[in-house]
Amino acid sequence: MSPDKTNIFKAPLPVIAASFVGPALLANGDVLWEEAKLPFSPDELVQKIMGQPMRRAGRFIKLVCCGALACLQSAPKEILHDKKVGIFLSTGLGNIDEILPFITQVFKHDGGFPSPNQFANSVSNAAAFFLAREAGVKGIILTISEEELSFESALWLAQTYLESGQIDLALVGGCDVFTPTVAESRERMNLTNENSRLLPVGEGSSWLLIGRGEKKIGDILAVQFASPEKGVLPVKNLPGMETKENYFLPGFRVKEEQIDIWKNKNNWQIHDYLQCCGIHPVAAAFGIAHALQSKKTGCFLHYNVNAAGRQAFILARK
Amino acid sequence: MSDKDIYVRGWGAVTTLGWSAPESAKNLIEGKVLPAKAGEVSHLISSEFKSFAVPYDGDPLSKSQNMLEGALGEAIERAGLSSAEIAESSLFVGTTGGLFIRNEYEFTEEIRRNPKKEPPPISCRNRGPGEVTQVIADKYGIKGMTFTLSMACVSSSHALVIAANLLEQKKINRAIVFGFEPLLNLTLHGFASLLLCDYDQCRPFCATRSGMQIGEGAGAVILERGEKARHAKNVYKFAGGYLFNDNSSLTSGGLDGELVKEVVAQTLSLSQVSVSKIVAIKAHGTGTKDNDLSEGLGLHKLFSEKLPPVVSLKGAMGHALGAAGTMETAVWLSCLEEGVIPKSFGFSQLDEEIGFAPAQENNVAPNGAYLCTFFGFGGTCTSYLIIKE
Repeated sequence: MSPDKTNIFKAPLPVIAASFVGPALLANGDVLWEEAKLPFSPDELVQKIMGQPMRRAGRFIKLVCCGALACLQSAPKEILHDKKVGIFLSTGLGNIDEILPFITQVFKHDGGFPSPNQFANSVSNAAAFFLAREAGVKGIILTISEEELSFESALWLAQTYLESGQIDLALVGGCDVFTPTVAESRERMNLTNENSRLLPVGEGSSWLLIGRGEKKIGDILAVQFASPEKGVLPVKNLPGMETKENYFLPGFRVKEEQIDIWKNKNNWQIHDYLQCCGIHPVAAAFGIAHALQSKKTGCFLHYNVNAAGRQAFILARK
Repeated sequence: MSDKDIYVRGWGAVTTLGWSAPESAKNLIEGKVLPAKAGEVSHLISSEFKSFAVPYDGDPLSKSQNMLEGALGEAIERAGLSSAEIAESSLFVGTTGGLFIRNEYEFTEEIRRNPKKEPPPISCRNRGPGEVTQVIADKYGIKGMTFTLSMACVSSSHALVIAANLLEQKKINRAIVFGFEPLLNLTLHGFASLLLCDYDQCRPFCATRSGMQIGEGAGAVILERGEKARHAKNVYKFAGGYLFNDNSSLTSGGLDGELVKEVVAQTLSLSQVSVSKIVAIKAHGTGTKDNDLSEGLGLHKLFSEKLPPVVSLKGAMGHALGAAGTMETAVWLSCLEEGVIPKSFGFSQLDEEIGFAPAQENNVAPNGAYLCTFFGFGGTCTSYLIIKE
């Protein structure tokens, strides 16, 4: 299969800043965590990143804001000043931690009046709204959901907006929160032993700031999708693949035997970020941000498929 | 015709007025509009909240599946898409609830079957808004890009603008844009908790209005670049698509109309159409105090004495939330096919602050530009033109 040219960017997309938050709820740090103890309170993270509590917001909104603002805080100051900025929030499951208590309240009270604040926060684009307000962004603010390929879809869309000149910078990220129980969480993600890696369930909010800037920490070279019958995506002849150090970032539906193939390729190593964040629909965002924040240099290829076999990869370089 | 121009190749809709866009349009034009009702849908637990349900003999889960297939099937058939064309299409879905109805239906059925048992905790088994997109892609064999926009009331109208944008950039060849919203306890009780529901009647732009009434529905619009629709009496161009998201208020787009004026002005500027050339406006017109005031003022400020007929479809079909964009556009297109601008239902008294009444009679629909507006939760705004050629 030859690469679809519409998915290869006209020029590398500079990544100005990146940030990742995993289940331990620490920005840009790897800390041991246990699936059985999830979810942790985000209040300490909120205080640290936002400087004040977000009393009326749920975990999803808090994590979206903290993850994205941690990314902006690691970018040069005034980076957004006088720029047209787009926000592209990807989420597989949405604001489930607000929806569930709200609908429980609805049925429990048999038609009474559950919390209006909780309903407002449960609306799918509420988190992007709060982030936009915190970041002072107006204009293109989108919430995109595509199950386990949500982040890849958002990144592809952000690239088209950048390329068209409608925006100068794109804040692209993914957030999904763990909502008990583990069994229900696995069911919501359609995880079985046959269609996913045997790893704990996690959560995260991970973000990239992309566009032209004075400084960059890396580049996004391509985002590509292919239907199942196209065969496994090729990596030959892709722009930027000349580096000697290459890292394969396997998504959570990649089979172990496929990972073994990459392990045995010359010049390729495995960057198994899922050990740090656990399985969640937008784990790819964590993977790319984690790789770009690591001490490793070279090319990073993230690869995942959805449950129906649709494939997606992101190629980044540092 | 430039090779960048975007045309509507097909459309379809399932609404409270009918199981197709032409049937819905016919009933709308003939005034065969029933008021919203409560207590007629088995999984809705409140007998207080009136809504516009799609008529159906059967359970709500199979109804939602039929709504999905009905609107998409109609659009694909009208467009005359071959299997190969469907396969190479990209799919854009706008929805807020997605397949959440499954959770509500299973829960209420469990209680109905075991009335003496303690109700189980409601589970949430759906895989997020993107699940419905994957279901459609699998069923119809769509291999192109897929996107799910979960953006409250502008979900599918935003999806239309994004799709048109990608078509213009030649990133995609064809877009099947679909909006889907079955009735949910979640949204009925949610908007009621925000005191945004009218318990009596939806009255867009009326001085006596006091809120929206939720409707259910599905709508599909197929867009293509430089390709004239071949299966309609007329040709419809999609132009001036513009989306904007404000960050001032989560629940209101401001009350002075400035935001609405700016957004619509952008659409006119992008499409190079002047205010005097707009034949009619299919307004968002929810019937809530704030929306109708800001929208009314915005339109009035921009159009002044040149304000053409303004129509809200929500007095007749309810507010289909994430599906409103494609559903209302599809019904509007079928009205234009009949050569009629439908009247606006639910109005009785002029709101002096708004300063105009929505269209109270059907009007002839000549060739020309028709403005469509949508506004929603989170400061979201969409505006575009449908140009009948």
